[in-house]
Amino acid sequence: MSPLRAKAPRSREKRLDTLGAWLGPVSAASAEFVAEDIVQRIRTFAQSSHDDLLYALRILAGIKNSITIIHGPRGCAAAGLYHMAAGCNTRWVVTNLDERDTIMGADSKLRKAVTALHHRYHPEVVFIVGNPVVAINNDDIQSVVKELHEELNLPIVPVYVTGFSSQNAVSGYDTALHALLKYLSGKSPVAEKSETVNLLSVAEHPQDRAEARGLLEGLGLTLNVFPDDAAIDAFRSAVAARASLSLCPDAPEYLGTILLEKYGVPLIDAPRPVGIEATGRWLKSVGTALGATQAAEELHQRKADETRRQLGGFSLKGRSVYISLSSANAFSLIDLVEELGGEVAGVTVTHLDRLHSRQLDALAARNPSLQIHVSDGQAFEELSIVRKLAPDLYVGDATHLAQIARLGIPIVSLETIGIIGYSGVVRLVRRIKAALVNRSFEASLVGIKHPYQESWFRRSHNWYIKREVK
Amino acid sequence: MSHHLEGSRNSCALHGALQLFESIAGVVPVIHSTSGCGVQHYLGGTRLSGGNDPFGSPAVSSSNIGEKHVVFGGGSRLREQLKNTVKVVQGDLYAIVTGCSTEMVGDDIPAMAKEGLEQDWPVVYANTPGFRGDVHQGYHLAAKTLIEQLPELWKDAEPAPAGLINIWGIIPDQDPFWRGNLDELGRLLEAIGLVPNLLLGGDQGTAAWKRAPGAALNLVVSPWGELPARLLEECYGTPSLSLEGLPVGAAAGILLTRLTEQLGLDPLRTEEFINREQARLQRQFALLADSYYRKGFQREFALVGESSQVVGIGEFLGKSLGLLPRTLVITDNPPEHVREALVNRLTTIVPGYDTELVFSEDRAEIADAIRSGQAGVVLGSSLEQEVAVELGVPFLAVSFPLTNRIVLDRGYAGYRGAVALLEDLGSVILADSLSV
Repeated sequence: MSPLRAKAPRSREKRLDTLGAWLGPVSAASAEFVAEDIVQRIRTFAQSSHDDLLYALRILAGIKNSITIIHGPRGCAAAGLYHMAAGCNTRWVVTNLDERDTIMGADSKLRKAVTALHHRYHPEVVFIVGNPVVAINNDDIQSVVKELHEELNLPIVPVYVTGFSSQNAVSGYDTALHALLKYLSGKSPVAEKSETVNLLSVAEHPQDRAEARGLLEGLGLTLNVFPDDAAIDAFRSAVAARASLSLCPDAPEYLGTILLEKYGVPLIDAPRPVGIEATGRWLKSVGTALGATQAAEELHQRKADETRRQLGGFSLKGRSVYISLSSANAFSLIDLVEELGGEVAGVTVTHLDRLHSRQLDALAARNPSLQIHVSDGQAFEELSIVRKLAPDLYVGDATHLAQIARLGIPIVSLETIGIIGYSGVVRLVRRIKAALVNRSFEASLVGIKHPYQESWFRRSHNWYIKREVK
Repeated sequence: MSHHLEGSRNSCALHGALQLFESIAGVVPVIHSTSGCGVQHYLGGTRLSGGNDPFGSPAVSSSNIGEKHVVFGGGSRLREQLKNTVKVVQGDLYAIVTGCSTEMVGDDIPAMAKEGLEQDWPVVYANTPGFRGDVHQGYHLAAKTLIEQLPELWKDAEPAPAGLINIWGIIPDQDPFWRGNLDELGRLLEAIGLVPNLLLGGDQGTAAWKRAPGAALNLVVSPWGELPARLLEECYGTPSLSLEGLPVGAAAGILLTRLTEQLGLDPLRTEEFINREQARLQRQFALLADSYYRKGFQREFALVGESSQVVGIGEFLGKSLGLLPRTLVITDNPPEHVREALVNRLTTIVPGYDTELVFSEDRAEIADAIRSGQAGVVLGSSLEQEVAVELGVPFLAVSFPLTNRIVLDRGYAGYRGAVALLEDLGSVILADSLSV
């Protein structure tokens, strides 16, 4: 049976034993996954965190000539404003469901919206995005899709995110990618392969894509870069590619897996190219898989030398760094901090699952007592952890950076810089240097109150993380 | 029946309620909904109002309900979350706000709040599902919650000083200049011997809300302030003075004169203050005049914003600065009974000049109106920048969402706000004239 038959893929928890709440030494995390005895945890006190809807929107924001219709109440489209502000050029529409619609259903409203937008803008594709309200009501989106697809001769892609069926937002990437493949990539593999290589880029910084593209084109490859900043034909072309290569082993994992399993496109096993050495390994994997071993090796040597010259002997020796990032970025940064001579004080990752087993095992062998905290948005835990560890630097992208800064700790955010490849290291180091050399802004913030009870800081950090009772 | 919206800028009731609660020091919102609601608010609200981050993060407590709670009910999860919120987060007041999911499931929120009260926790609640309306409805629901539920909570109301004036109708973040606007209104009131009760912002805690019932007057500066003012009038007999918009420039003087008459204040003191401020504003006009003529400031303008902003800024530009209101777009969906007054007022700012007034919150419809009006400068939210670029005219971001400005204590209300507006608008016109 085709893996794309279902409306949506299984949640990450079911597919990969994904954990969204966990705290302990990395050795214990590694052991739990090795033993395949993974127990879900829940929080009995929680703070807002991303959901699958928000992650799906990240992907849809990158598809050119598209219109995204959030079929729900107004607030579910709030993040659309953020994506517009961040420079996304697609159109964002909400069907604006009111109380009556939640009782009576709102298929006609959706139908009207799709038709009106089609006639006004002639987009290449329309996305219809689910949310808690239509998921709870089980609104019939499918028949609208089917009917209007034929009537308007327009690709319409329903993305069945719910906001509650997975406790890990990363499931939203899978759901969006599932829908995009299902509706845009065709029903079957193609016989005639092209020379193109798929470069899978999900919610990456434009500088990161530019860096990766530059390196791979330097090896003479022809690329089909998607889904970020791609038009819908990329999904059809992808099926004919000679191989797929990821910028990240996590976010686009579902895409690479389905391209392999359903369409027979080989997936190159490669790490995330962050840091000089990891970028070298990434290039080497590409070279080995595509018969360009020597070119990849030469390119790495040249770029690595150049990068080391640019870094001018910068070292993090004697500095401890706390890392709080998406899982793939966090694991990459651990390696990079060590590569730069620094010490990792602790790490917060958004989620942890079987995709990270290899990294967990390697870390457990190297630094078994390193504490790993699994959380998205749980500022109260992180603040307490970081306050206790008092690192010299915090690298993170969490929604609560400004709370951490109130502790007086220098902060580097990756939101506006790409960190992939050789140029990424140089960019990141420039930021780190600035953060370490002048801490006056953090000093200006010290003393501003955080919102938590002092007694919370005396509790163990995992006080509100409990094993789930089924 | 509501219609689909492109580039919706009015978000939902839950987010509006959060915006009010987060702006009162010591109030801790407890969101009972799916996990993403708070992050949507942070991404699509907090981050787009010019730098405004009360907790240094999204709201600090959220029950993050999952599939299990959707199926079996989320009441017990809220009970647990509320109990632990009190333990983890400092607050004078915990305000439960709900999202669509928990309302559809039918969780009994009043019962949960009551349980909290029985534990002696200061708890209030507001049912704020997004399907009930936009941020303005959320502001209403949250203000109503505080006005109705606080007296139950604190039997010992704070004594109100004489001449206390509550200010209603400014919605934090939805007006990105809310702090500066409130500060300036406060300064104006103090100058004529009144005591402003701003209710929101930096040092305005729950004590300000305890004092509110004892105020001498409710000053209402947008249609959205009418409901809280009416509630106070019904319960405590507090009279109100209603403006349809923010007083900018000379309008501030008119307001102060009205207040002086209504409250029987010292007219000489008021007159003296107004004269001083007017003279100061006039000196700024004189400083501007050379650039004004040389760079062709006098032109048609398009203005997009909430009704209070369009009234305040539009009248100042039309009645004091010689500009021509070509296209005015009101985005906050004011209630029907207010619309007629707005039409009468705004289409006659410059007698003999044809002004188009549009009520819309749809990005495409708004862009169409601006495009067809062909104004020579556009003031609006960042969503209007695109059409300004298309028309090749200068653009000033004045309304939500703001993506290219930091706003900390800047405001456009009052005399000081008028000068800030002259500086900001003058700067974009000047920059544009250089780039040609």
